[in-house]
Order: sequence, then C-alpha cells, then structure tokens
Amino acid sequence: MTVVIEAQGLERSFGDLKAVAGIDLAVEEGEVFGFLGPNGAGKSTAVRMFTTLLRPTGGMARVAGFDVVSQAAEVRKNIGVALQDAAIDPLMTGNELVRLQAVLHGIARPEAKKRGGELLERVGLTAAADRRVGTYSGGMRRRLDLALSLIHEPHVLFLDEPTTGLDPTSRLALWEEVRRLNQDQGTTVFLTTQYLEEADELAGRIAIIDEGRLVREGTPAELKASVGAPTLRIDIDPEHVDQAQSVLSRFGIDRPARNGRVAVGLDGGVAKVAEVVQSLESAGVEVLHLELDAPSLDDVFAEATGRRLEGATQHHE
Amino acid sequence: MTMNELSASTRVAWAVCIRGMQRIRARPVLIIPTVIMPVVLVVSFSGSFSSLTRIDGYGTDNIYNWMAPYAALQGAVFAGIGGVGSVADDIENGFFDRLLLTPGSHSALLVGTVGYSALRAFLPTTAVLLISLLIGGLTIPGGLLGLITLYLAAASMAMVFCLTGLVIVYKLKSHRSLMLVQVLAFGALFISVGQVPLSFMQGWLHTAARLNPVSNVLELARQGFLGQVAWQTTWPGLVALAAMITVTGFFARRGLYRLTP
Amino acid sequence: MSSGLGGLRLAGTQTLALARRSLNNERRQLVSIMPGLVFPLMMAAVYSQQFGRALALPGFPEVDSFLSFILPGSIIQAVSFGGTTAGTELALDIENGFFDRLMASPVARVPILLGRLGGTAVVAAGKASFIVAVFLIFGVTIKGGIAGTVIIIATAALLVLAIGGLAQIMAIRTQSQEAVSATFPLIFVSIFMSSAFFPTALMSGWYQKLAENNPITWTIDPVRRLVIEGWSASDALQSLGVPAALAVITIMGAVRTLNTKLKAG
Repeated sequence: MTVVIEAQGLERSFGDLKAVAGIDLAVEEGEVFGFLGPNGAGKSTAVRMFTTLLRPTGGMARVAGFDVVSQAAEVRKNIGVALQDAAIDPLMTGNELVRLQAVLHGIARPEAKKRGGELLERVGLTAAADRRVGTYSGGMRRRLDLALSLIHEPHVLFLDEPTTGLDPTSRLALWEEVRRLNQDQGTTVFLTTQYLEEADELAGRIAIIDEGRLVREGTPAELKASVGAPTLRIDIDPEHVDQAQSVLSRFGIDRPARNGRVAVGLDGGVAKVAEVVQSLESAGVEVLHLELDAPSLDDVFAEATGRRLEGATQHHE
Repeated sequence: MTMNELSASTRVAWAVCIRGMQRIRARPVLIIPTVIMPVVLVVSFSGSFSSLTRIDGYGTDNIYNWMAPYAALQGAVFAGIGGVGSVADDIENGFFDRLLLTPGSHSALLVGTVGYSALRAFLPTTAVLLISLLIGGLTIPGGLLGLITLYLAAASMAMVFCLTGLVIVYKLKSHRSLMLVQVLAFGALFISVGQVPLSFMQGWLHTAARLNPVSNVLELARQGFLGQVAWQTTWPGLVALAAMITVTGFFARRGLYRLTP
Repeated sequence: MSSGLGGLRLAGTQTLALARRSLNNERRQLVSIMPGLVFPLMMAAVYSQQFGRALALPGFPEVDSFLSFILPGSIIQAVSFGGTTAGTELALDIENGFFDRLMASPVARVPILLGRLGGTAVVAAGKASFIVAVFLIFGVTIKGGIAGTVIIIATAALLVLAIGGLAQIMAIRTQSQEAVSATFPLIFVSIFMSSAFFPTALMSGWYQKLAENNPITWTIDPVRRLVIEGWSASDALQSLGVPAALAVITIMGAVRTLNTKLKAG
C-alpha cells in the first residue's frame, strides 16, 4: 500500500493562536479517512493545508507524493476538493460551472462535455443543469460541488464537512455517493466531519482532532474497544449528583455527563445494573431514568477530550 | 512556460472572462448603473458648463466634444471597478478557493478578470458617445483613429482600476472595500483636466492636475474630438497607461500570490 | 389620534423621544456623515481653483470669488447626503419588524414619521453650520450677516425635511431600504441640474429650462443672494418658503401614504 496523504508535525498558527498544533498522520491509498472534531478544532485549517490553499507555518505535508508547498500545482492536479458550505457562485448555472471547472483543469472541450454530462447525471442534476445555482436546494448544491470536484478524475478526494446542514435524506444520498466512489473507483477519501455517525458510517479509519491536536486514531472498532466498558447513564435530581457520583465510582470509571445526569463506564456490564440501582437507592438517590450504551464514538471522544461532541446526542439513536 | 501551458492559461483567462459575461446575463440590472451614470454625467456637466467654451483654451465650441471623453473614461473606470465585484463576491462566499485550486497559473485568473473589466468599458463608452451624438451634436474630427484612441484609453483605464480594485480586494477580502477604490478613482479623475483645460487652473490644482497621469490619458482620449490624432499627444497618454498598468499589475499579482503558497 | 391641547403635548413629547432615537443612530454612524462633509468641500476646493475664469463671463453674477458663489450649492449637497436617512431608517424598521411594534404601541402615527425627520433636520443644520464655518475660514464673507447665515442654515434643515418626507413615502410604499437608497442618485442629479454649481443664465436650451424650473434652483438663488448681495427680507422669505412648502407637501404625502397603508393592511 502506498501512502497518499502524509503529515509530519504539520502546524498552522494565526498570530498567537495555534489552529493546527503539530499533527502526524498517514492515509493509505483507497482508504476513507475520517477527520472528526468539534467546530474550531482545526479540521478545516488542516484540509486547507493539504489542498494547498493555506501555507503551513511548521512541519510538512505530502499529498499524492507531492509536497503541498513546493509542488502545489502537482498536488492540485491530483486532488478533488469539496469545501465547507459548498461555496459556488449562485449566479452561474450547473452546466456553466462544470465547463469552467473543466477549463481550470485543462480538460479539452469535447471530453469536458462528455464527462460533465456523466457527472451531472450521476449526482442527479441533469434536469437542473441549466438552472442558476442560486435556485438549488442545499442538497443539490453539495451534489454539484461533489461533481465539480470530480471532473478531472482525482485520485484523492477531500470533503470538508460535506453534510453539515443537510436534511437526513440528502445526507444518506451523499454518503451513498462517497461510498460508491471509494469502492468502484478506488478513490482515496479524506473526510472531515463533526458528526460521529458520519465518521462511523463512512470511515475505515478515524482521527479525532481537538484544539489542533490528534487525540485518538484508529478504526472505529478499535477506538470503541479502547474505551472498554459500556456506559451507564442515570438521570437523577441534580442536587444528588455528588452522592451519586461517589456511589458510581465503586462500579467503574467516571464518564462525563450533562447536568442532572451521571455516567460511569460500567465494569461487568448489564449484570451489574441492578446492583448500581440498589446502591443508589440505599444512598438516598432516586433513579429517574437510566440507559446502558455500548461504547460509541461519542464515548471515545468524551474519553479523549473530557467533553461531549456538540450535537452528538441527537445522532446517538 | 511551454506552449502547452500558455494555451491552457489562455483558456483559463478566457473562461474567467466569459464567466463575467455569464454573470451579467444572470443579473443584467447590475450593469445598468455603469451605463446610466456616465450618460447622466455627460449631460449634466455639458449642460451646466456649456458657456465655458466661450473662453479660450477648450479648443472646441461644443462642450460635448470636451465632456464626452471625460464621461466615457469615468464610466470605463467604474465599469472596471465593477468587474472586480465578482472577485469580491467569490472571496466573500468562498468560491474563490475553487478557482485557486486550478493546477495552472494563477495569473490567468487575474488576466481573465482584467480582460473582462476592459470589455465592460465598451458599454459606458458607447452609451456616452451615442447620447452625445444624439442630443449634444458631438463631432469627431479625428475620425476613426479618434474613436480608436478613445476606446483604447477607456479599456486601459478600466484595466488600471480593475487592477487597483484587485489589490484592495485580495488584501481586504470584502466587497465593501471596493468603496475605497471608487473614492480613489473619483479623486483621480476629478483632479485632472477632466472638466476644464489646464490653463484655467490655479494654485495647487494646477500642479496636481499636471502631475496626474490621468490628465495625460484624458488628452490621449480626447484629442480625436478636438482635432486630428497626433503622436505628441498620444505617446504621453500611452506611457501613463503603461506605467499605471505595470505598477497596479505588479501589486495585484503579488496580492494574488500571497493568498496561497 | 388624541385631540386637544393634552394630545398635542403628548404628540410633541413622543416626537421628541423618537427624534432623540434617530439622532442617537446618526451619532453612532458618525463615519457615515463624513462623506457628506468631505465630498462637497473637495468639490468646492477644486471648482474654486478651476472656474476662476468663468467669473468674467458676461451673465455671471458679481461675486468676490467662485467660493462665495458655490457656498449654497455645497451646503445643499452636504445635507442631501443622508437626507434620505429618515427614509432608509424607516424602511429598515419596517424590514425588521420594529415598525410593527411601534404601530402596536399607543404612540401616535405622525410622531413616528416626524421624529425621524426631526433627527435628520438637526444633523443637517449641524452639517450646514460646519460647511459655513469652513468657508468663512477660507475667506468667504456672508453679506447677509448673522441673520442671513441663520436663514441659510434653517433653509438647509427645511430642505432635508422635504427630501426626508419623499424618502419616507418611498419607504412606506416599497418597504425596502435598497429602493429608498436608490433615490439618492436622483437627488444628487437634480442638485447638479440646478443653479448649484453654475448660473442658469449661462446655460442654454432645454437644460436651462430644466434648471430654471428646478425647485432646488428656487431655493438656491435667494440663498445665494443672501451670501453675495446682502440681507433682504424677501430673499429670506423665499429661501425658507420654497423648502418649507416642499416639506409640507412631502410630509403630508408620507402621512397619507402611511394611513392608506394602515387601512389597507
């Protein structure tokens, strides 16, 4: 296997702020690599460096075998990029954009026409191709953006938060497309996301980034296994949090939880639940609600950073 | 640069230029002020100051022959700045990143935008000429050559201020910042031989207008409307244009290359 | 609307309160006042250096300098910047819903319009005083004396009421800030097509007719005589009367447009 995306001590500061504070990673050909982190963790900054849009202030990065600074033009030839928010000129039509994109990548006109038609067909935009992008829905814009980034048949595809703000149906359609690209064409995909579910669904390997640093890396299964015990979450009267916590700590390691709730990595699993409840009640803590979850990426994230990922709960089911 | 790369860059520049046109087609209203403003200018300047040609120095009896090239250049300059509007939009909404991801030369993006701005200059210039012919009895003693020098000066001035706009937009990254360029353009045209000949001016204005390269360009643009086109009026204008394009072009290119590694 | 003396006093207090609000907005946007001062001054500076020879043209009024001639034009140009503010602010209030809240409150209708206009008129008087002061420093004498100067500043304030009323009609009709702002170039052009920068006597043809029948010319000419000739009660009356009449017409128009809209809505 060849490494197609590689970073060593990659850094980017803006003034005093270190947006990316030295990351090392290696993505192999044909992988779907998920870059998971909350807003402002440094995901986009890292992607902008890999895609030659931003100069690193330290370390090095190579994409498709080329250095992102000294061989930027070669890198650009080999990558497709769909940036955050699908930033496309609203005054142009889908067809016009596809044609412009083809010229930007030096594709001859007849071939551009053929490939552009196929791509629009594939993302289901043939009917809307002559409409102005300003009239597209969010999902259509993402799909067009994806088509644009594929016009020159890149080996490596960077997707920066491809489904943020999309409705569930559009999200599923986009996932399907990304999977197909990876399986049929062997395209390496580097995907950033703040959705655990998305990383879990798509990525073969995941890196968790927080405050500019990689805090965990591995396959979803490896990561979950590393957290160990399942999480027991118990809703209680917020006044009893301290007592409840001291009871729970007898059964395993404390896990972060929101207000009015306590959580523990339960050693021994389901068999111990009844015992926990009894102990709480004898300590005078009333159990309002409880749930037991096998470890999720959310737990991995919480264990790595001490915080829950924003919006994680709504994708938990 | 090889022949192949050159032809690829030319195609990119042309595509960027075409894209500007496509945007106008998408929202034609955007171009209206560019045409209306210079037309209103030529009518109101000529109407208000028509009696000035009774004083020696104008070299024409018809104020329209004096004001039309001025208004045309003014229109061209604002058309040129307007051409930067799409770049400002791109930078604001993020589409510019997609353009920067081209593996080819980034200079092609700049050349395309400048070309598009130069083309935009033809609209106001033509509108001013038509109105002046229609209601002002404009004459063109310099003939075809006089027209060509006007259009050349108009297109080049659009390029100069397009490049100035790009310098600002690449740096400040907002549409609003183009206001700065508009003020600069207005001042540069205002403090020149736009409305009266140099011999009318006194004090600081005389000095400033004489040193202002825009005065040379105005004389270049206007000569065919006052008499024959002559080399001694042409070359200072061409030199001024070349110098302004070189300087603004240098800074615009530097600004663009500072945006990415 | 309430009637009687008490009602009038209430309306007065409400007008004042709303005027203060719009004045505060203006103060916050001090930067936006700058172009209105810098631009006319720059124009006056350039014109006084390039039109010196025009003073010798037969038909040009007897003046000390072009600067004295252009003073009224500069003042009116200065106050016309931001003259539409009363309208754009109203349109903004309509756009963001604040207007509906005002309408739902017991505040009478007319103060809502007048308050805003009052605010811009105060700003206009300030701008006019500033322009006059700069011209005085550069050696212009206002022959009409202190009384003449006061009339000139009051005229500027009245004219802004007229422009503001027009802008408010536009605001209520279109409910869009952009549309109201678009009226500014029109006002700018109508100032240019008047006697503001050159005497109408030296114009010719249809353009001269247009300039002579422009209400801005009717306002500027008597103001100019107060500057270059001296005090005259009839000039003072005319310079105040024309913008006052225009203001009454446009403000009444605005009130009527508002009432029609309220009835329809």
